[in-house]
Order: sequence, then C-alpha cells, then structure tokens
Amino acid sequence: MTVPLGAYIAVSAVLFFTGCAGVLVRRNAVVILMCVELMLNAANLALVAFSRKYGSIDERGSVFVIFVFVIAAAEVAVGDFSVSVSALLSIVVILVVLG
Amino acid sequence: VRLRRLRSARPADDDVTFDFVEPVVFAVLSIGVIAGGVAVVMLNRITAAALLMAFTFLSMAGMFVLLGAETIAAFQVLIYVGAITVLILYGVMFTKFSTSPRALFFQKQTPLAAVFVAAVAVPIAIVATLSFTGAPPRPGGGDLPALATSVFTDFAFPFEIASVLLLAAMVGAIVLTKRDDQEEAAARRRR
Repeated sequence: MTVPLGAYIAVSAVLFFTGCAGVLVRRNAVVILMCVELMLNAANLALVAFSRKYGSIDERGSVFVIFVFVIAAAEVAVGDFSVSVSALLSIVVILVVLG
Repeated sequence: VRLRRLRSARPADDDVTFDFVEPVVFAVLSIGVIAGGVAVVMLNRITAAALLMAFTFLSMAGMFVLLGAETIAAFQVLIYVGAITVLILYGVMFTKFSTSPRALFFQKQTPLAAVFVAAVAVPIAIVATLSFTGAPPRPGGGDLPALATSVFTDFAFPFEIASVLLLAAMVGAIVLTKRDDQEEAAARRRR
C-alpha cells in the first residue's frame, strides 16, 4: 500500500486555498506575501507529483518547480524591500508633514 | 532529522512487511503542511507565523523526498527554509505593525472568503482523491540526472531568462532602498 497521487493533489489543493484565504482575508502586506509563498509551494507539490506520475523520464514538471523557486525568491526580495521601503517612506512623509 | 528519518524509511518499500510506513509518514507530513498553513493564516503574531511557514516548507520538503524528488527537496530546504524565511523575518523586523488584537483577522470579508475557499477546495480535494488513484512510480537513482538534462537542453533559454529575472530583482531591490536613503536624508536635512 503506497500513497496514491490523488492524496498529494488533495494536500496541494488544501494548502493552495488556505493561502488563497490568507491573501483574501489578511491586511498585513508581509502576511499576504507569506500566503503567496504558501500558494506557490502548493503549486510546486502538484507539479512534482504530476511530474513523478507522467514525466519521470525527463522531469519537465520539476524543471518548472525550479523556475517557481526563482520567481518566489525574486518576488520575496522585491516585495519585502518594497514593504519595508514603503513603511520607511510613510515615516518620512509623516516627518515631512510634521516638520 | 526529518529528512534522515524519511531516508531511513524509504528502503521499506522493497520490503512488503513495512509497507505501512509510507502512508504513515505521508499522513504526518500532510498534517504538518496543512496545520502550518492554517496557522500562518490564522495567527496574529507575525514572527510565529513566519516560523510556522518555515515548518510548512520543511514538511513540504519531506513530501518531496517521499515522492522521490530529492533534488527538489534539497532546493526547497536551501531556498525556502534558508533564504525566503530569513528574508521575510528581516521584513518583519524592519517594519512596524499594528498589534491591536484581532483587528487584522476578523473583518467583514472573512465569512465570504471562508465560504469561497471551502466551496472550491473541498470539491477539488475530493475529485483529486477519487481520480488519481495509482501511486507515482519510484525512480531509480534519484531525479538529478533527468532534471539537469532537461534544464540544460530543452529549458536552457528559460534558464537564462530566470537568471536575468534574478538580476533584475536584485537591481530593483537595491534601487528601492537607495532611493529611500536619499529621501530620508533629505527629510532629515529639512527637519
């Protein structure tokens, strides 16, 4: 008895929509970023599972997982810096208005 | 420790007697993944949410090992657990958050979002469980040779595009912080 493919896909779907709920509900930008990361990771699980099942000769799905890694890293770098920069900019604007 | 435990569990596939190990490990890992994701969405303490997100990513790496994708699992640990969690923790450290209790979560759109998510996720999970019943095959010798062959032959051009994307993200982050430094200095002078 091994784990069927559908179980991986079910876990992937549940995690994806958990992250989707986080993006819909939370107001905090960093938390929204973390929820987007959860969604990307759920997509990674589905890609690897289907790549195992249908393309285990050339691993095309896993190649896309590597590209998703790249996009996630770029997104979190720019997103994080823009979040912190926007917070600092709002402090600067407040200081300018007060001063 | 989790990966090592999984590795030690993998030769049990050849042995018929210990065949129950893989579903048990899968159940533990899936509970870890889903509980971590729900905690990331529900928790108000952002540092705890970030650390639980790292826990979710580690459990996901264990799932990749269980699927036989060891290279992807190693990349997962390196990039997600190592880099992205640290970057997000830096973002948490450098920003100010309103810590009013429950103000961030309980809002008007929460029931709508819950209904939408349940209405979409539950049918997908049920249909996926009923449709794909066969177990994925176990590759011999890991997934690294096939992965490397695909990346450097068929996907060589997207690979270069990805490197350009990373360069653009790096330059963009530097430009964002640089502009902020100048404006902050100008504000300080004006003050």
